[in-house]
Amino acid sequence: MESVIFYIFAAILLFAATMVITVRNPVRAALFLVLAFFTSAGIWLMLEAEFLAISLVLVYVGAVLVLFLFVVMMLDIDLAPLKEGFTRYLPLGIIVAALIVVEMIAVLNAPQFDISAAQATDGSNTKMLGRLLYTVYVYPFEIASVILTVAIVAAITLTLREHHRKLQDPAKQVMVKSADRLRMVDLRSKKQDGEGSES
Amino acid sequence: MNYQVPNMLFALPEMVMLAMACVVLLFVAFTGNRKIQWSYGLSQLSLFAVLMTVIFSWGDTGTTFSATYIKDSLSDILKIAICLINMCVLLYSVEYLRARQLLQGEFYVLALFATLGMLIMVSANHFLTLYLGLELLSLCLYAMVAMHRDSVIATEAAMKYFILGAIASGMLLYGMSIIYGITGSLMLQEVAAAVYSSSSSDTILSFALVFIIIGIGFKFGAVPFHMWLPDVYHGAPTAITLFIAAAPKVAAFALLIRLLVDGLIDLQTYWQPMLMLMAVLSMIIGNVVAIAQTNIKRMLAYSTISHVGFLLMGVLSGTDAGYAASLFYTLIYALMTLATFGVILLMSRYGFEADNIDDYKGLSSQHPWLALLMMILMFSMAGIPPLAGFYAKLGVIKAVVDVDMMAVALIAVVMSVIGAFYYLRVIKVMYFDKTEEKCEFTYSGPAAFVLSINTLLVLALGIFPGLLMSICSTVFS
Amino acid sequence: MLENYLPILLFIIIGIGFGVLPLLAGFVLGPRHPDSEKRSAYECGFEPFEDAHMKFDVRYYLVAILFIIFDLEIAFLFPWAIVLDEIGVFGLLAMFLFLGILVVGFIYEWKKGALEWE
Repeated sequence: MESVIFYIFAAILLFAATMVITVRNPVRAALFLVLAFFTSAGIWLMLEAEFLAISLVLVYVGAVLVLFLFVVMMLDIDLAPLKEGFTRYLPLGIIVAALIVVEMIAVLNAPQFDISAAQATDGSNTKMLGRLLYTVYVYPFEIASVILTVAIVAAITLTLREHHRKLQDPAKQVMVKSADRLRMVDLRSKKQDGEGSES
Repeated sequence: MNYQVPNMLFALPEMVMLAMACVVLLFVAFTGNRKIQWSYGLSQLSLFAVLMTVIFSWGDTGTTFSATYIKDSLSDILKIAICLINMCVLLYSVEYLRARQLLQGEFYVLALFATLGMLIMVSANHFLTLYLGLELLSLCLYAMVAMHRDSVIATEAAMKYFILGAIASGMLLYGMSIIYGITGSLMLQEVAAAVYSSSSSDTILSFALVFIIIGIGFKFGAVPFHMWLPDVYHGAPTAITLFIAAAPKVAAFALLIRLLVDGLIDLQTYWQPMLMLMAVLSMIIGNVVAIAQTNIKRMLAYSTISHVGFLLMGVLSGTDAGYAASLFYTLIYALMTLATFGVILLMSRYGFEADNIDDYKGLSSQHPWLALLMMILMFSMAGIPPLAGFYAKLGVIKAVVDVDMMAVALIAVVMSVIGAFYYLRVIKVMYFDKTEEKCEFTYSGPAAFVLSINTLLVLALGIFPGLLMSICSTVFS
Repeated sequence: MLENYLPILLFIIIGIGFGVLPLLAGFVLGPRHPDSEKRSAYECGFEPFEDAHMKFDVRYYLVAILFIIFDLEIAFLFPWAIVLDEIGVFGLLAMFLFLGILVVGFIYEWKKGALEWE
């Protein structure tokens, strides 16, 4: 039963990942990426890595993909020329993909990685993580919050423009007095002088 | 849970820095740029406070926070250097930034957080802390380069810096994760012990090592991972270039020592040739390409690349004396870079960048003192006795000679002779080229004063190098 | 342990079924006689002036980035909430400091007006 569900998830994941790189419309590609993330979250859940599954859905699907969509929509890309390079770069892409596959096989088959030890954990992964993260790793944990704060500062410094907007403030409009708008200036007519100098 | 509350006093410098950075951030949030003088003062005060906490706890050593944090003499000396350097950087850059409407509170906030990142790196005893400190520093630097939003070259430089920096961080992280997969630990001493005991897994360990070296190479800007460096130095506003060029190199030295010497010393047979290749290529390419530059910031960028080559030479020797020589080289390099960019910043004024070598024509007749300072610095960078740069070069060359790497030493000597050419050209332009243009600017105030002291320190450390050298050698013994 | 997720799996399957089946039924059962006029976008009787896709304001980007940051913060809260009874006062204070630093960033964000649209 479990392996059936796994293969269904894996098939959907492969399909979604292929669609991400082949569909023409970037918005659709982003939506397929959402599907890919969801199914990999499902696979992670089956491996009993609940925290990873939750953070994948929460962070990637919830926030990163939203950012992707905004960027895609903001740029208003002309779609046609984007795909022209596809066949041109295909050989290179295949070589890189093959290299990664070879590397993964080499690394995963290496006797140095003792995978059996990793499966020995009993109970909730999230709990184990929590026990370590807020005590043993409290120092890196606090640094993480500093990095997030710096990200806030950097994002605001780089994108926020002080826009000079032309807005009406009704309160100010009502409070206005005639003296604010009209200045009475005493202008004496100097006709005689002017005529005198001209003539 | 029997978890002991860690001894947080060791991490006092970081805590003070963090608290003060938050105070400055809040201050900037509430006052904006109206009280920029106060933001500046607060930033200097923060750096000074951190400096004091380091000095008063000098000599205490130990680890805390479950051994993710280490305090030893290396971290102490590097922290003092970082604080002093950044205090000078902030002082030198005020007028430059003000003239270009870049003097924003955020500059100080980012500078303080970047300093915090450097402090964290220097005191890291764990791959995770090391990586997070590096990311904190890098994130601040990317934002600082991009701060000049209306400048096209600054934005382009920030883009290059960000993308290449992110790739480098990824490489470093990948290497670290492989090492974690093999040794089962991220703590440097445990990693070292695990590497020592398992002699069979060298292939995969060296595979991981390659990624780590690439990451370090990128962060230092060593050839062949130097592509970002000239563009970023050139594109960023000079004050930011100074910030990137000085203290982060000191922090990068800590990265190098912690990873390769503290963590992976038993892989020395593997990392030695890799570092040697990077060092030799950096010296050759840095020095040769620098000759062709007409922009002084670009020239200094290539000069930095060559200095990185020299700096790596001491570490690759793999001896305590070699590490000490590298440390000495790093500190002297930071001191010289600080003063050189200080001169450029002082000469730049509204609408004029002073970043072409030709802009220095006839400087000696109009501002003899400034020209004299620049001459001392150029002689020192070229490695001419009796200046500090000479003893720095001598130390690292001696380190490789001691381990019988004659070829590397020979290349280093030849390259420093070639390098002397472009440094001397600047002096020639200042002293022997005449110009009709009048350089109309005045320099005075604390920045010029500190700059003079900074430069004279280069001279003084050249005449009496013994004290700093002995401090450096006690760090590694 | 995986049995606990069976209801969720069933929920997903039924949810997909509810979404897909009516569409499929409409697709199979409904009459379809498409022509070019029917397929074109309807814009009050005019020919469409431009592509329906339009550029988003760059300000959405800032909002999205700020959202990501606080979203990540939430990811740190989950394990904390689960083990709070085990990690004691130290864990509580650790999270307070974590949130405190982010609150400083939040105050900055607020005062800078990054949360204001107009």
